[in-house]
Amino acid sequence: MSKELNLWLDDLLKDIKIIQFKRKNSRRVRIDIAPEALPALLELLQGRASYVHLSAISCVDWIEENEFELVYHVWSYETNSLVSAHTRISREPGVYLSVYDLYTPAAFFERDIHEMFGVYFEGSPDMEKFILTEWNGPPPMRKDFDSEAFVNQTFNWEEYHPQWLKDIEAEGGGITTRPEDVR
Amino acid sequence: MRPENYEAIKQPPSNEFELNFGPNHPGIEGNYAFRVKLNGDEVLSARADAGYLHRGFEKLMEGRLWIQNIALVPRICVPDPVPMEVCYSLAIEELCGLEIPERAQWLRVMQLEMSRLAAHLFAFGGHAATTGMYTPMFWGVADRDLILDRFEELTGGRVYSIYNIPGGVRRDMPDGFLDRLGALLDYLDSRLPDYDSLFFRNQVFIRRARDVGAMTQEQALKWGVTGPNLRATGLAFDVRRDDPYLAYEKIDFDVVTQPGGDALSRNLVRRAELKQSIRILRQVIKHLPSVKGAVRCPIPNPLAWNVPAGETYTRVESSKGELAYYVVSNGGDKPYRVHVRGPSSMHAVQVLEKLAVGSRLEDIAQIMFSLDACPPEVDR
Repeated sequence: MSKELNLWLDDLLKDIKIIQFKRKNSRRVRIDIAPEALPALLELLQGRASYVHLSAISCVDWIEENEFELVYHVWSYETNSLVSAHTRISREPGVYLSVYDLYTPAAFFERDIHEMFGVYFEGSPDMEKFILTEWNGPPPMRKDFDSEAFVNQTFNWEEYHPQWLKDIEAEGGGITTRPEDVR
Repeated sequence: MRPENYEAIKQPPSNEFELNFGPNHPGIEGNYAFRVKLNGDEVLSARADAGYLHRGFEKLMEGRLWIQNIALVPRICVPDPVPMEVCYSLAIEELCGLEIPERAQWLRVMQLEMSRLAAHLFAFGGHAATTGMYTPMFWGVADRDLILDRFEELTGGRVYSIYNIPGGVRRDMPDGFLDRLGALLDYLDSRLPDYDSLFFRNQVFIRRARDVGAMTQEQALKWGVTGPNLRATGLAFDVRRDDPYLAYEKIDFDVVTQPGGDALSRNLVRRAELKQSIRILRQVIKHLPSVKGAVRCPIPNPLAWNVPAGETYTRVESSKGELAYYVVSNGGDKPYRVHVRGPSSMHAVQVLEKLAVGSRLEDIAQIMFSLDACPPEVDR
């Protein structure tokens, strides 16, 4: 049963011109699809092919191509296989459609991606801040946000030179590598 | 202001009030909070408030070498750290096309099941405390400590073992380890009837937990519930069996289900999984001496290791549900992107918000512990 269903999916998806279909192994499928067609594909997968479990939505910031990659991992409890649907949206303005009406768990992942990458999902029920409630800077998971530079600008390096260290240094010991040399 | 000048602000008549539940509350697991709206002690709405434990793991990982992250990932979930290491290592192995030796696979299975036992003992102990019974918690934590002793002997670390590396495990077991593990399993097996009469068949617990936080199988599937919480609604799904990794295909174990979908069923599933984990570990003890060979395959210099470009999505069954890592490499010596899909990112946020509505205030803690939610997985 499950094998037939899997083959059925292969046949169906190979015929569609706008998508790239790649089977990695018997339980993993990768699909590359244009952003306009992704909600329709997910609707097809969920409604007709039993992919009812949205495992995760991952976002990757491809800064050199000026694009965000969104990956929707959906799992079928009947055929025991995972489809990863990849799509790419423009980094500016970074707006995409929510799939909350298809998959309830999408609300969490979309909220998370909005907070960490700044991608806005139209139609998502909740785009409020969740984890970084007191953060006013740029979305931190973007590649152009340098956390080390942020720390150096915001905080001062404190000189830590206690008496016990001075005593050791008086005897010829001490820290051999200064922190700035390591970095 | 003088009292005679004080005039109270007129509010429309209402019985509702808002309560901040957590982040520092014994009924909350970890640093996590809820804003609940109450009418009397009935919950009208609940809103999760995370971020008290955000350490930015995903960003940190992008700035560290592949091998350095092994020491970082177990910190994401304190009670059940081993699946994090294993899942991350599996992702790197898949990207590099490494075939890990059979002995390493069995050693990893052994660790995973020891960690699952420890996490389940912790989980039902915590649940017992929310119903006012503190003895099961003390027993659970004390027995978990014996498992941590074995972890210390095997890996050097009690909680965070950092024993796995891409390509296998760091070193082989000490001499006589399996005998001592077997003795521990005998002890834990003998404790299960005690747990039953103290907790799982205790009417105080059964009457408190029955029909609390109940969900149907349709709801569970719709809300993205996984792991023991999904099995408690009657669906026999386990990543170990249905999307097998490591040596789980060769191991004989049952996927336990319960029909109820409430807090009681979820705990009974965990109780049965204690038994199954002991069963798996006994098979490991029996099989492991016959598997000879290295415990890891040759890997390049880990300090100058460029993992081939690619992406992979690896999943394992942690004690809380489906744990997955989405790892992207651009061919460099550091990960380009790591996305951690913790099972509690569903359970602690959406599912808990929905299950809390209509329940009573004193049951929120019970629902949270019965879902075995782990807030660090939400914050990451």
